[in-house]
Amino acid sequence: MTVPGTFVPLRHQPPLPHHSLVVSEPPGPESLELDVVFVGGGPSGLAGAIELARLVAEDNQRGGGLGDVGIGVLEKGERLGDHCLSGAVVNPIAFRDLFPAMTDRDFPFGQAVPREAVYLLSEGRSFRVPMPPTMRNHGFYVASLSEMARWLGEQAETLGVNLFPGFPAAGLLVNDHRVVGVRTVPSGLDRDGKPGSGFTPPTDVTAKVTVLAEGTRGLLAQAYLEWQRISSPNPQVFALGVKELWKTKRPLDAVVHTMGWPLPAGVFGGSFMYPLHPNLVALGLVAALDGHDGDLDTHELFQRMKLHPVFRQYLEGGELLEWGAKTIPEGGYYSLPARRHGDGVVILGDAAGLVNVPALKGVHYAMHSGMYAARAIFRALKARDTSAAMLAEYDRLLERSYVMRDLYRTRNMRLAFRHGFLSGALGAGLATVTRGLLPPSRIVMPADAAVPRSAPGPSRFTPDGKLTFSKVDAVFRSGNATRDTIPTHLLTVDGVPREVGEFYARMCPAGVYEWVEGGLRINAPNCVDCKATDVLGPRWTPREGGSGPKYQRM
Amino acid sequence: MASVLAVIEQRDGVVKRVSHEALTAARALADGMQGTVTALVLGPVADTSTLGTYGADRVAHVTDDGLALYQPAAYAAATVAQARAEGPVTVVLSATALGKDLGPRIAARLSCPLAADVTSVTYEHGAVTVSRPVYAGKAVYRLRIAGTPCVVTVRPNSIPPLERARSAATVSASAPTEPGPAVKTVRVKEPPGARLDVAEASIIVSGGRGLKEPANFALLEELAAAIGGAAVGASRAVVDAGWRPHADQVGQTGKTVSPNLYIAVGISGAIQHVAGMRNAKVIVAINKDKDAPIFKIADYGLVGDLFAIVPRLTDEIRKLRAG
Amino acid sequence: MKICVCIKRVPDTETRIKIAADGKSVDEAGIKFILNPYDEFAVEEALRRREAAGAGEVVVVSLGPEAAQETIRSALAMGADRGVLLKTDIRSLDPLAVARPLAEEIRAGAYDLVLFGKLAVDDYNHAVGPMVGELLGVPCVTAVAGLELNEGRGTAEREIEGGVEVVEFALPALLTVDKGLNEPRYPALKGIMAAKKKPLEVKPVELAAGGVDVLDLTLPAERQAGRIVGEGPDAVPALIEALRHEAKVL
Repeated sequence: MTVPGTFVPLRHQPPLPHHSLVVSEPPGPESLELDVVFVGGGPSGLAGAIELARLVAEDNQRGGGLGDVGIGVLEKGERLGDHCLSGAVVNPIAFRDLFPAMTDRDFPFGQAVPREAVYLLSEGRSFRVPMPPTMRNHGFYVASLSEMARWLGEQAETLGVNLFPGFPAAGLLVNDHRVVGVRTVPSGLDRDGKPGSGFTPPTDVTAKVTVLAEGTRGLLAQAYLEWQRISSPNPQVFALGVKELWKTKRPLDAVVHTMGWPLPAGVFGGSFMYPLHPNLVALGLVAALDGHDGDLDTHELFQRMKLHPVFRQYLEGGELLEWGAKTIPEGGYYSLPARRHGDGVVILGDAAGLVNVPALKGVHYAMHSGMYAARAIFRALKARDTSAAMLAEYDRLLERSYVMRDLYRTRNMRLAFRHGFLSGALGAGLATVTRGLLPPSRIVMPADAAVPRSAPGPSRFTPDGKLTFSKVDAVFRSGNATRDTIPTHLLTVDGVPREVGEFYARMCPAGVYEWVEGGLRINAPNCVDCKATDVLGPRWTPREGGSGPKYQRM
Repeated sequence: MASVLAVIEQRDGVVKRVSHEALTAARALADGMQGTVTALVLGPVADTSTLGTYGADRVAHVTDDGLALYQPAAYAAATVAQARAEGPVTVVLSATALGKDLGPRIAARLSCPLAADVTSVTYEHGAVTVSRPVYAGKAVYRLRIAGTPCVVTVRPNSIPPLERARSAATVSASAPTEPGPAVKTVRVKEPPGARLDVAEASIIVSGGRGLKEPANFALLEELAAAIGGAAVGASRAVVDAGWRPHADQVGQTGKTVSPNLYIAVGISGAIQHVAGMRNAKVIVAINKDKDAPIFKIADYGLVGDLFAIVPRLTDEIRKLRAG
Repeated sequence: MKICVCIKRVPDTETRIKIAADGKSVDEAGIKFILNPYDEFAVEEALRRREAAGAGEVVVVSLGPEAAQETIRSALAMGADRGVLLKTDIRSLDPLAVARPLAEEIRAGAYDLVLFGKLAVDDYNHAVGPMVGELLGVPCVTAVAGLELNEGRGTAEREIEGGVEVVEFALPALLTVDKGLNEPRYPALKGIMAAKKKPLEVKPVELAAGGVDVLDLTLPAERQAGRIVGEGPDAVPALIEALRHEAKVL
């Protein structure tokens, strides 16, 4: 029963469109046959493709007899890296494992983490707090995920991996319970969904193994798990991060994290400010999506946050270079699907939920998950058996690895914040001190969309255009040049009431939703694929390749 | 003695206005190198007397009727013959459709450097020096051309024509014969009525809700037609209201339209629209509200009633184009 | 029908341009390179003409650095049969220096049709195509926006100020094409894979010095704050004056 004046987002969300996501037709006549297809050109997919290509090449050199193994990576962005966004401070362990002959200096990183600082903010003031042990970043590097993806892509190409940027996957091709490939999104449709100029029909790609490396809130991964009824103890929960890249006059010499203001009480999250180089600063705000306020506008909070002295001192006189947004799966250990493999399929990285929230890390887990999958797939290809039984090796490797140990140890730290900052701090503190032994049992989390929200009030934020920017200005800075006549890719339910429409307008950082007289207006081309809408509002589906943002160094 | 050869274009027996710019540029160059200017007129022209006022010392006129329309090989042969007769020479053309076609041919035949589509050309330190925009206008090269001969094509509207009291002597020139035209221009037809794509146009006249009704967009269409080569765009608000087709919408997602000139009529500049057109080289805003945000990003603003201003603007531009 | 298409690897003009440290060139770091958009129309036209003829070969030739192989591959992915890279790291601003090695390569091929995009979006010279035509001594028409070919003869339409020129010519010929001549196809997944196996010959070439020296490359001045020119229709003449002589856009 809902309290009057509140609404539950879940009630206004359409279900996943299974008929198009899980397709049991035979592949079309023009289908492309590969041995392994990676859906997603991010760190997990690319690391997986590289590792697999390497294993195959070495095996062939030894006369192993596998021969030509067709490995392809489908990426929805026009170029690798276009849709990659992260803080980021990267643990180089996965790079070192993947490229043992290289040194850290060869990797696509910015500078090594200089000193670090954590602050608790109030409006106008800041208090230095001791570094939580889970957040120590000494020996790590500040880096841009877009650059990492492009670099990994180059490595992949030299190993003979086929990269297909501009080709989003629209659905899984299945035969009985086996995944046999994917179908790509058509392009060149007009606003009414009819073929227009430059129409390219969908292509089917068949493969012995389909690797779902779609990143946060991956659509095909969701569809597969739902179809095969694979659940997790807790549903996956998400936070929305909004990030900007600035060229600054004043150099930044520390990796900074903050908590507290401007996040309202009851909203888990914090901010980050990292020097990619001393005068190239990445900063952002991450806010969990399970709060009760229908008001939560992460973009707006982030804009206000930049006016706080801690940030302003660096941004003043500088230049905004890029803006972007992305959700982060925060559920951790208890939100991992019971299995991340099946007949002809494996699920990697963020799509599987492999993110360590207390450490704010996921890139190295993503890469390692790709590498473990590659090893399992290689074995399966050699044995000519890509059934679930063989691909289970991926999950075995993952579960025996440091990735799972890390996730288990921190399993309740984020969840502890479910009931507020204080109990969260206590719970997280307890978990830290006991190295994950306590609290012992799972803290239950509801799905974000099931959390009732209060009706939003009016927004009172006016951007100054110098330090703070409107959503539309921000979208411009994401490099988004999506065709204006593209059909909308967002699935809605009819008759969304006003408070829900206004809630969508706040939730979306890119200004896709507006409540105007007469109803909900959807500016679909604005969408930057952060997936917040998929979590709380209209369902996201992929659009023609090359749509969305074009991140350069995010 | 150094000389500059300015190629003069004609249409229907009348010297084209744009050639006055080429002549002005040629004169400036010649003054710098203390040389002379020869204007080469290709095709029948009734009156070449004004060429002196724009800087020619001499006029060479190839009156052959066969050259009334642009014939690439014959024009190239005639220009090269005249250029060779001049001695060390800089050949100047306007970078019109004709000039962009003819300039390279002359340079290839003379085996010499070409600087195309320049916005300024001077003679400095003993060499022809030019500026030319590149990368869709995002950067500008300054180049120096070594020696003569050389060919320069000048972007239209870059060099204001300069008149001076002067008259030019006429010399004769004959059309050299080329063995049988390999390419023959047979006729010129009217441009198609198809509207110019907003994404491609170098000039966009855009309208918003201030136009009050769909029918009033006719005012903008007239303005665009008077300007010539201009597209009519629309703000998202009027496209959503169904007044204008989707194809005319100037993007609000940041898709760059980057025309040379963007005239925003009755558009408040609410950010939706601004994000799509901010890359325009020059922005003009016409709005009755002097506090409208669009004036903050416009280069030139006119405050007032668009229903009075736009027809006046159309009128003045028609006069400009005709005269 | 044997067709040669000349293509160029150019920076995507949507990206921000930064001047390199030498003050004379563009800083290429982080720049996305693409197939010159006008060349896409040329490649498409070549593919259509080969398809219409029922048989033939489309050869893609490019003059540029090693990385231009990628650009050639994207044309191969569209459907061209083979590629030739005339490899040089020199970037000449004298179009004739570029035209000469291209003409030499093309001359050997005995093509029925040679196609160029009318201009490259980095240099905007609009010159290499017609220069190659002159060097080869073949009929040449530039900025073709409409094309008909029939039994060894062709009719082209080209846009001029206030009209359309109709031009007749005989094959073999060289044409430079304008946007809108056709609708370029997007490479299909299969095409992208097939492109990797198509022959791509790399031939190093020497580029002559050329007669054009770069003094500098600069960014145009920042947009100045605007001004209200006046009020009402009587301010129109002042606006036009400003647009013509100050802004030089009219």
